[in-house]
Amino acid sequence: MQTMHPTLLVGPGDWDPRQIPREEYDDRLATLWRNHDHAGGAIVYGNSRDHAALFYLTHFTPKLEAAIALIPSRGEPQMLIGGGPNMLPAARPLTFISTLAPLRDASKSVADWVRGLEAGSSLVLIGGDAMPFDLRRTFEDVLGTRLEDGDASLQVCMRRKSARELQILRESCLTLDAAIIAFRDAAHNNKSATDCILVAEYAALQRGAQDMRSLFSVDGGRTLRPFDIPISQRPEPLQAYLAVRHGGYWADAFVCIAAQDGELERKAAKTLRAMVAEAKAGLSGRQLYQIADASRGALRLHPLADQVFGSSIGLSLDERPLLTPDSDATLEPDAVYSLRAGLVDEAGAGAVVSAMVLVTDSGPQVLWPTDGCP
Amino acid sequence: MTFEQRLAAIRASLEASRFDCVIALHDGAHFIEKPDPVMVLTGFKALGPVAAVFDRAGAASLVVTPSWDAERASETCPNAKIVPQDDVIVGLAKAIGSSDAAVGVAGLAATPYSTARRFVDLIPQAQRADAIVFKPAQRKTETELTHAREATRIAELGYRHLLDIARPGISEDELAAELRWHSKSLGAEDNFVLLCAAAHNRAVAPSNGRRMQPGDTIVCEITPSYRGQLAQICRTIVLGEASILLHRKYELVVTSMRAGFRAARPGATMADICRAMNAVLEAEGYAEFCHPPHIRRRGHGLGFGSIGPGDVALDNATALEPDMLFMIHPNQYLPETGYLLCGEPAIVTPHGAQALTRQQAALAEIAF
Repeated sequence: MQTMHPTLLVGPGDWDPRQIPREEYDDRLATLWRNHDHAGGAIVYGNSRDHAALFYLTHFTPKLEAAIALIPSRGEPQMLIGGGPNMLPAARPLTFISTLAPLRDASKSVADWVRGLEAGSSLVLIGGDAMPFDLRRTFEDVLGTRLEDGDASLQVCMRRKSARELQILRESCLTLDAAIIAFRDAAHNNKSATDCILVAEYAALQRGAQDMRSLFSVDGGRTLRPFDIPISQRPEPLQAYLAVRHGGYWADAFVCIAAQDGELERKAAKTLRAMVAEAKAGLSGRQLYQIADASRGALRLHPLADQVFGSSIGLSLDERPLLTPDSDATLEPDAVYSLRAGLVDEAGAGAVVSAMVLVTDSGPQVLWPTDGCP
Repeated sequence: MTFEQRLAAIRASLEASRFDCVIALHDGAHFIEKPDPVMVLTGFKALGPVAAVFDRAGAASLVVTPSWDAERASETCPNAKIVPQDDVIVGLAKAIGSSDAAVGVAGLAATPYSTARRFVDLIPQAQRADAIVFKPAQRKTETELTHAREATRIAELGYRHLLDIARPGISEDELAAELRWHSKSLGAEDNFVLLCAAAHNRAVAPSNGRRMQPGDTIVCEITPSYRGQLAQICRTIVLGEASILLHRKYELVVTSMRAGFRAARPGATMADICRAMNAVLEAEGYAEFCHPPHIRRRGHGLGFGSIGPGDVALDNATALEPDMLFMIHPNQYLPETGYLLCGEPAIVTPHGAQALTRQQAALAEIAF
């Protein structure tokens, strides 16, 4: 889901080797070189908005300005940090990479580094699509045809979660739970929509959340909007989307809280349960959509659960591929998906609910709701 | 200046140019240093990639992604034609049709490559025209100034909250996250909280997991955004009792800041302000610390729309005009004390610069 991106990432992001040790990063890099066996090195770009790949390979979160990891296929990696030499000490705890330098005149720095690699070898570019236009063009001018795309192959690796990643994702789900419990309590106490969002956010922060995003509805679940200014309204029903990042990994949920009859929500939940039950390896987005479409009855699918009704989730909220009605991409084992089902009634009111599902060889496991019951 | 008057000024710039229309691009990643030409033209703070088309007749179209955010866009921009889309370039193609018009583009340099490349493929004749949008936006509108005042109020309340909660043992990350949350509870939609602490800070940097210790000096920039308009205060706090030396040196940076305020009069340049602040520090023997890597600038504009009039820096010849809004902050590294933060948001009036804060920077101490 698209949410409002904060101007500075302020939550905890230090590297804790007890969570993901250096050996796991070494394994990830070994896979990268197996996928790009003629490459002499990789250039990995990330900024505060798009840094899933950079984080996956280095654990670094660019809280303020962009960063570039320069990773040789043989030897130690280094990291260029935006913001000048005085930013380096603050960046050091965020990564296992010990060689940090300021990100100034990026193309020259990268060209100098490339000269130390094996002559004629290719260079894997990761995160290049997120680079500012002018910076990317400068890179292409300097490095030309040596660049090869590394995003697609890395995304395949990132989708399949390791045991350690799954452990962190389960923690994220518990933090999400804490936020949703606080949200529900506030809603049942008739707090305004934004007050409900604020208490949810606070509950997540108390559990050490790295980031928290939210959207909510003021029109009975028909549309969602970001937190702008506090409002006094307590819409009925109260539909919201909450996402929590913990240890780098996201968990998200749509929640719909009705003070009285939650019939629409119950029907949406029934659709979701049908989708979750069939969320097995090999099932395509198209097939999953058919399940949702078949169970909606006379109701319309909600726009937020129609053209896109889920995606892989982990280091970003919407890892590729997105699940769409015409998608042939299939669910993969060891991947975690956020699935959503939503309905709109004749009066235009809407309800959207969601679940996070780990696809395993033996079938789907529900990670959120944490009680296993969507 | 009203929003409509600003649009009229942009339209006049467009008419004086060779372009039939200007297209503003933004990726929805709102950063304090990155201007947003779409916000300037429409007032809309987007979730995702967004584009605005503004023509010589003053007609505006706004391509909004994701498509489900279109109603919010309509509320913000009732006079614009809203084009809901999940792909900004597809939406832009719909908005402009097949045209060989002379097109100017603002915001292209900072647009992510994946979007920018497709934009260039779609409109190969487009040429950079950032100044058409941003030059008339160097002065804030009345609404933006009202929002800046509210953001400043929230910043000052946030600072008081920091004084209440900062203590040895809390981590930089925890303090920054709490401050950001607190400002949201007061009405801000975001807050650029740049905060760190040490016995001797070399700079202000993003927070990390370091836990604060007795005797630490906390340096922080508290920068709430109210309805898309940022305002900032820069403060320095000691966890414990500050030394006489630190008090004396902090008074020096406050004196430097006051010199900057005195220099900030209509007609003066941003460079003049920087020179006035440097002069105070140079007179005390800190000339070598008035240049990189110790200091890059002595203030900056405040977005998220326009970040004009730019940096308070020796190379910025922009002349000051009434209703310009920017930070004046000496924010100086001194070898005896480390980095010290001291700064206020300033509005240029016909009679000089006016701080938006009720209470200006003074070295604070937290007893525990």
